[in-house]
Amino acid sequence: MAETTPSTDIKRSRSSLRSFLTIFFKELRSYLCTPFGWVILGCTMALQGFWLQAVLQTMTKATGESVMYYMLGNVNFWFYFIFIFPLITMRTFADEERQGTLEGLLTAPVTTGQIVLGKYFAAYVFYLLLWLPMYLYPWMSEIGNWYTSVRYGITPEGCITYTLADWVGPYCILALAGAFFIALGVLCSALTRSQIIAGIITTCFMIMFYFLGRVTELWGEFPAAPAFHYLSCTEQVDAFSRGLLDTRPVVLYLTLTVFTLALTKRIVDYRRWHR
Amino acid sequence: MVTAQHLHKSFGRFVAVRDADFSIDKGEIVGFLGPNGAGKTTTMKMLTGYLPPSSGTASIAGYDILDHPLEARRHLGYMPENVPLYEDMRVYDYLEYRAKLKGICGSSVRQQVGWAIDRCGLEPKRKNMISTLSKGYRQRTGLADALLGNPDLLILDEPTNGLDPNQIRQIRELIRSLAEEHTVILSTHILSEVEMICNKVIIIDQGNIKAADTPARLTAGLRAAGRVSLEFKGELDPVVQELEAFEPIMKVMVEDDRGDGWHRLVLRAEPGTDTREKAAAVVAAHSGVLRHLYRHIPSLEDVFVEMTRRD
Repeated sequence: MAETTPSTDIKRSRSSLRSFLTIFFKELRSYLCTPFGWVILGCTMALQGFWLQAVLQTMTKATGESVMYYMLGNVNFWFYFIFIFPLITMRTFADEERQGTLEGLLTAPVTTGQIVLGKYFAAYVFYLLLWLPMYLYPWMSEIGNWYTSVRYGITPEGCITYTLADWVGPYCILALAGAFFIALGVLCSALTRSQIIAGIITTCFMIMFYFLGRVTELWGEFPAAPAFHYLSCTEQVDAFSRGLLDTRPVVLYLTLTVFTLALTKRIVDYRRWHR
Repeated sequence: MVTAQHLHKSFGRFVAVRDADFSIDKGEIVGFLGPNGAGKTTTMKMLTGYLPPSSGTASIAGYDILDHPLEARRHLGYMPENVPLYEDMRVYDYLEYRAKLKGICGSSVRQQVGWAIDRCGLEPKRKNMISTLSKGYRQRTGLADALLGNPDLLILDEPTNGLDPNQIRQIRELIRSLAEEHTVILSTHILSEVEMICNKVIIIDQGNIKAADTPARLTAGLRAAGRVSLEFKGELDPVVQELEAFEPIMKVMVEDDRGDGWHRLVLRAEPGTDTREKAAAVVAAHSGVLRHLYRHIPSLEDVFVEMTRRD
């Protein structure tokens, strides 16, 4: 049997950043080292692939905008985009509570804020990873062009055109809106001990938010319409994927994210106090 | 090490723990005893800071659990009931994560995890997935987790629950060996276990603390403490009369008539007295033959039953 080290010899740190990073890396690892994360990544890639194929068909007839505009500025994109968030976030708190491991987490010398932020950023980084493969499309198209020129001896035209702005815009809005939607998912997960219920609530909020942005399409312009334009994620995605960067959504999504995370911290504490 | 002052917890109208006051000194092994639903787990959860008390407070190593929760938790190793663990992690990775979460850093992480694995006999399973572990190994993983960082206070909620007798013995040995440098609070249903390893017992029933003392002092004051039973052959009535006249004996109960001529008596005497010598002398004086004489040794079970009995 090993000898005990005196407590004073153990190297300890009180850095709150270190506690945050410990939780962050553990959570990120649970996305990347289990089938769970790869299933989400695989499904998203497959859906994107189908959709890219359809976009390329469209682009043979109409040009003028970037491929990203066609990919994101369409209801088909939203069809799978909405479901990414509940899938990524439904586990975060609900599963910990169901398994009982939340007790171990909350009795460790870490604050609720560190736990919420650690879990949130792990989910968010995983979400950002989902969009990395999309950046390969122009390179793949280059390879396709090169292959055509080698195989058939002609230089093809009309490949996927890309400039930096074509990609910066869409990535910005995906990162911004995603920051809020992930926070929303984490909040819903903290509300319940059932992953399924957390997922359903998140989906419900997502769809509501989506339709809030389409109110003006249904009702036309009315005095309160600018508020709905401001909230409209679809319009923002359209604008950003055209390359129009706007600071208003930056403010909108960052404030919403901070507010949602603060609320999540409150809820985790509240559920403990009123158990 | 631990002091609880008017610790109170109610869930809606139901009072789980009522005004609990106790203190635990450094190096003590304290057993929490009580029927199911008595408030043992709630009290422990309040000490760990997981459940905030409705009123009152407690302090661990001098740190108030409400005012300095992080400092209090740094001095604490907790093993919850049923040992919740991350099923999708390996034992070593889990303990490493927990060590870092407890603020251990640098080379101490490996050293501490290695030590805890060694101490809890987890070496053969260190690379296994937690979901594949047997109950005994899960329990040890939970215990290893509680030991990380060598905390001053260990709170173990039913550490031997669901284990087989060999495993119970191993865990018991482990806890006893821990007592040299830690203060331990454990809860259990197994009274013999408490008798064997604890030097202080807190009995709690329906949210009230009924007693907090050493097992020896608890058993000393019991009604059952002075009870003597004997069997003899010979004349019954004069023996009974003479025994009843003897001062410390309060009551003589005759449990008789097996028809073989042997009489069985139970003498209820004042706690802390020994009436065996007198009983033997009385039987001999009436030329009876004595074949059985036994003074009841009061156990914690008697204490437990007497304090938590509903009838």
